[in-house]
Amino acid sequence: MRLSPRAKAAWRRCLTNPRVVTGGVIIGLMAVVAVLAPWLAPHDPQEQDLLATLLPPMWLAGGEARFPFGTDTLGRCIASRLMYGARIALYVAVVAATGAMILGTLLAIVAAYFGGWVDWLISRAIEVWMAFPPVVLALILLVGMGAGVNKVILAIIVIDWTRFCRVIRSEALVVMVRDYIAAAKLAGFSHRQIMLKEMLPAVLPLVITMMSIEMGIAVIVEAIMSFVGLSVEPDVPAWGVMIADARQTMHQAPWGVVLPVGAIFLAVLAFNLLGDGLRRALDTRLVLGRAEAA
Amino acid sequence: MMTLVAKGLSVSARLAGQTVTVLRDLDFAIEPGKILGLVGESGAGKSMIGRVLARSLPSGFVVSGGSLAFSAADGKVRDLVAMDGADLARLLGDRIAFIPQEPLTALNPLLTVRAQFDEHLARLGVPAGDRIARMIDALTQVRLSAPQSLVERYPFQLSGGMCQRVLIAMAFASNPALVVADEPTTALDVSTQATIVQIMRGLQRDHATAMLFITHDLRLAARVCDEIAVLYAGEVVERGPARIISQDPQHPYTRALQAANPPLRGPLTRLVTLPDQMPGLSALASLQGCRFAPRCPTRDASCETASPELRLVAPGHWVCCAPACSGSRPAVPPITRRSAEASGSEPILVVDTVAKHYPGKRDWMGRRGQGVDAVKAASLSVRPGEFVGIVGESGSGKSTLAKLIMGLEAPTAGRILIDGHDVTAPSSATRSIRLGTLQMVFQDPQSALNPRRPVERLVTQTMEAARSGASDAERLARATALLAETGLPPELINRYPAQLSGGQKQRVNIARALCVTPRLLVADEIVSGLDVSVQAQILNLLLDLRTERGIGLVFISHDLAVVRYLCTRMLVMHQGVVVEEGETDAIFARPQHPYTRALLAAAPPDELDSPWPPAPVQETLDATA
Amino acid sequence: MAFLTLQLLFRRLVLAIPILLCVSALVFGILRLLPADPVGMSLPPGATAADYEKLKQAFGLDRPLFEQYLIWLGKLLSGDMGGSIFFRRPVTELIAKALPATLELVSAGFALGVIVGGAGGLGMFAMRGGAGEHALDGATTIMMAIPEFLWAILLILFVGVSLQLLPFIGRLGPGIQLPPPVTGFLLVDSVLTGRWDSLRSALLHLVLPATALAIGLAPLVMRVLRSSLLETVQDDYITQARLRGVSERRILLRHALPNAALPAISLIGVQGGFMFGGTVLVEMIFAYPGIGNLMVDAVRNHDLPVIQAVALVYCVLVLGINAVVDVAYMAVNPRLRLAGSR
Ligand SMILES: Nc1ncnc2c1ncn2[C@@H]1O[C@H](COP(=O)(O)OP(=O)(O)OP(=O)(O)O)[C@@H](O)[C@H]1O
Ligand code: SF4
Ligand SMILES: [Mg+2]
Repeated sequence: MRLSPRAKAAWRRCLTNPRVVTGGVIIGLMAVVAVLAPWLAPHDPQEQDLLATLLPPMWLAGGEARFPFGTDTLGRCIASRLMYGARIALYVAVVAATGAMILGTLLAIVAAYFGGWVDWLISRAIEVWMAFPPVVLALILLVGMGAGVNKVILAIIVIDWTRFCRVIRSEALVVMVRDYIAAAKLAGFSHRQIMLKEMLPAVLPLVITMMSIEMGIAVIVEAIMSFVGLSVEPDVPAWGVMIADARQTMHQAPWGVVLPVGAIFLAVLAFNLLGDGLRRALDTRLVLGRAEAA
Repeated sequence: MMTLVAKGLSVSARLAGQTVTVLRDLDFAIEPGKILGLVGESGAGKSMIGRVLARSLPSGFVVSGGSLAFSAADGKVRDLVAMDGADLARLLGDRIAFIPQEPLTALNPLLTVRAQFDEHLARLGVPAGDRIARMIDALTQVRLSAPQSLVERYPFQLSGGMCQRVLIAMAFASNPALVVADEPTTALDVSTQATIVQIMRGLQRDHATAMLFITHDLRLAARVCDEIAVLYAGEVVERGPARIISQDPQHPYTRALQAANPPLRGPLTRLVTLPDQMPGLSALASLQGCRFAPRCPTRDASCETASPELRLVAPGHWVCCAPACSGSRPAVPPITRRSAEASGSEPILVVDTVAKHYPGKRDWMGRRGQGVDAVKAASLSVRPGEFVGIVGESGSGKSTLAKLIMGLEAPTAGRILIDGHDVTAPSSATRSIRLGTLQMVFQDPQSALNPRRPVERLVTQTMEAARSGASDAERLARATALLAETGLPPELINRYPAQLSGGQKQRVNIARALCVTPRLLVADEIVSGLDVSVQAQILNLLLDLRTERGIGLVFISHDLAVVRYLCTRMLVMHQGVVVEEGETDAIFARPQHPYTRALLAAAPPDELDSPWPPAPVQETLDATA
Repeated sequence: MAFLTLQLLFRRLVLAIPILLCVSALVFGILRLLPADPVGMSLPPGATAADYEKLKQAFGLDRPLFEQYLIWLGKLLSGDMGGSIFFRRPVTELIAKALPATLELVSAGFALGVIVGGAGGLGMFAMRGGAGEHALDGATTIMMAIPEFLWAILLILFVGVSLQLLPFIGRLGPGIQLPPPVTGFLLVDSVLTGRWDSLRSALLHLVLPATALAIGLAPLVMRVLRSSLLETVQDDYITQARLRGVSERRILLRHALPNAALPAISLIGVQGGFMFGGTVLVEMIFAYPGIGNLMVDAVRNHDLPVIQAVALVYCVLVLGINAVVDVAYMAVNPRLRLAGSR
């Protein structure tokens, strides 16, 4: 593929942007840990050692080397559970954000291109969706559909397409008034050609930036839902579940809460840094960081 | 005593590790009561002086030498470059005032005229009780009617011309010693421009103010200024009395500027053009010798090594050119605008009393605002090889008419015929009739060229459309041919728009329209964003296309001289209606409609002896509010 | 002016009615996707099939869906939100009790977020290019990387448990009597009845949850205000004011700030709505008896009438705050104000 100098320069700016690099490296490492969890984890995440409950991390007094981050109330290895939790978090992040991105971007471009009643309908739908605090909509969706990770993913897509659609639609409207869209019409381009060849590339930097931020949001939503018990099965280790479990004993064993909070923090931070860096490097006009997560 | 004396003023910038001289050794002086014009094309460095005064140079730019000696009535001489920022701020708005280029954005949108004027008067130390009277008085002086109600308005409720008058009133409120006006009329229509110039000059004379008038328009400067300095690539290439600079310039660049401007009266000759365009900042660094040398028709070998100095050629007239160069002007052939086949043959395009009404936008309450009748009744027909001009001020409906002709909008009334086929309602059938016959060149190449397509894929975009199915080799061959036809060097074929100059972009824009070999081009303001020397190149290209291809043209412009140069016939539009139509020469000689007459009178004539500007127009509030 | 603003607000609220109708249909529809069986779950052990049918009829769950919706909507309009399956009390009563608590919490969080965000944004702008800006920027990055509910847990852990500085359970300390109910708002009632002990306790209990909510809003306001200030100072009228010799301080406060505040205000409108969402988990974590806590309890027990009523209340609150902020925006922007009153 031939890259335009503009695309090449943007690519170079991305690769030299410290935020993009930091965020990318953290996410990369997390992905490696998640994929290799069965080999890296010192224990099975469900393996209980009732003789070694609530152990502190190994560097604190009373900690043991075989449980590097200590254990929870049932004597399960926190380090292993964190590693397996990363699998859930990243899985939800990638699949849900991709789904929301595709749906939202598609509708945004269609709305901006056709205008008229199509745009009216999509804009009103966004308005209705925006009346819900996202958490509330997620809760009733999961009550309606039943709990489960894939249901959480579905809920995120159903809720967050509006986030993409709103922002991308206004960007696409800016593109629409460019004369090169009119020129493409006069050149005999079909609707599909104009939308795919002229409009989509123009909004792509914004889409990529938002996608990164949306992945951070998906991590948070999954954590919330597993925290209230609407996401994974009880026997699957997810960060939200770990926090909910350890909350009862956080007076004696604060690390049980702090460590998974740290994991969520790191993941969301990495996605936000990446998004923020991309926004600067690709020069998009998106101003929000972690927009409206909870 | 001079009000402002610049001595050896230089500004340099650090660009990618290199130091570039943006403004070199500027020398000038302005007397009280006189106007110095600073004329140059975009990027020449005209606006740098204003920025030096305001201490608002772009980051990386510094004053690298010289002085700006300012003396106000108190007789003290201060160097504006060296003086303390706080002391300078005390002079700004009081002894030195500015009139901006974009009046509509130069006022705070959230505050009424009164609030902003009041702030200014308060800072000048006018007691609170007197301010409103002073305000009304100042606004009356700039011939604003009903100033009492005007001051309660917000800027968005006023037209550009009204905002500019408010800003002029504020500028002169302190009776300043110096006024700097940076392209004060560029954003305005010709008739407004004439009025603004007259008001400004009246106040300036009454107060004996010294004025620095920055513009790209040599013809306007000749009318407004006492003295003119011509800037090219950051250097003054010629300086002298306005009359001499505009009538008998000595420097080859000034001569070229003058020759590139099509005249409003007299015989038409083919415009003499310069190659390329003024070097940009990054190109300046590597330029040796005379900065104009690469484009100069009279250069010799020494020009590329030695930098010429300003030398006196007549009392008060300096030229920056090696003594050898003042050669004679080349003889140019007269042009013929008549095309042989125009008469007699059937029209390609017939527009029959079309109208376009835009319904008002719904506001947040769902109520419809007032609609706009962008075009009320417009008819025209174009025969093969005929160049038809459409003139009118901004908002007169010219662009809307172009969109209707091209089928980008559907007319609300009337008919459009191409070769006798009815193409009024846009549909896929009418699209394909248009595709081979009619193409459009858009105004702003920045917006009309997709920045993500290389030149080859831009100019052959029609071959990419679904039904065409051309091979890559065919596209390449066609692109090469189109570049040659529009006078573009073949090595541009893989460039992207961002890597092209303004003139090159506009040629690519034209090449794309030519790809399907249309018989008629519709061109909407395609030269208005270009510098005069580049504009002349594009105008000549259009003439050549007619000679070589017999192509027809609908040419939309606000510039009467350009329309006169190109077009056999012309239409005058005013508020959505075609008020006059006919042979160009006949309309210029005997305009019938009062609006046409006003339009012709508002353009500054070439002859310095004919009176200009015409009687000013009073602007009333209700026109826009 | 005040009358005009009220009029605008009223018209703006009327416009929200069709949205609210769609929202109610959506809530009702989604909850009828339910695979779980609320009737079976709310029966005591050992109930018979006849008991089941009776309960089903009592809840109206045997009718066609559309009819159920219309009945529900009709009752809703007359103020009857049905009865809670789990709490076995009228939903209206549950919400009436919980809503003032949530409104108090959100108001506190909102005020804190806007004040801190506004001050921070100005501070970042004032210190642009310096270490102060970087420090604040780093702080926003960290604040934004942790969601409100985790801030709630961290605040409890560090401020509540470790340092024991502030209370973190419920709305009042143990042993403190509720003030006699007048408005239902604890703070207001305490003041009205002169109960300074309960006022003090209620305020202390508000600090941590309000902080957790404010952390969600403040960094966004900060960033938007900073970047819109940076953009605004490039505008022509700022340069022109400088060229008139207006002082830098005046340029910032009178010219730049009001213009730069516009995008921040519209952001606050959207975010203010989302802040209600934040209360769901924050209230649960602080055992704060508001509608969020009610929602979580209802979700855990599949208490449909409560879930749908609370969801609807949330939407009303969001639309309400959007309307208020829209009107505030119009009041600041003369272009919209003059168009709106025409
Ligand atoms: N899409 C639109 N919706 C509403 N009004 C429009 C639209 N396009 C144009 N107008 C209005 O129609 C009138 C004519 O506009 P048009 O762009 O044709 O003028 P113009 O003569 O080309 O001006 P300029 O020289 O500034 O380009 C103007 O009042 C303009 O505001
Ligand atoms: S010095 Fe030489 S190159 Fe420069 S303007 Fe004179 S003749 Fe042309
Ligand atoms: Mg136009």
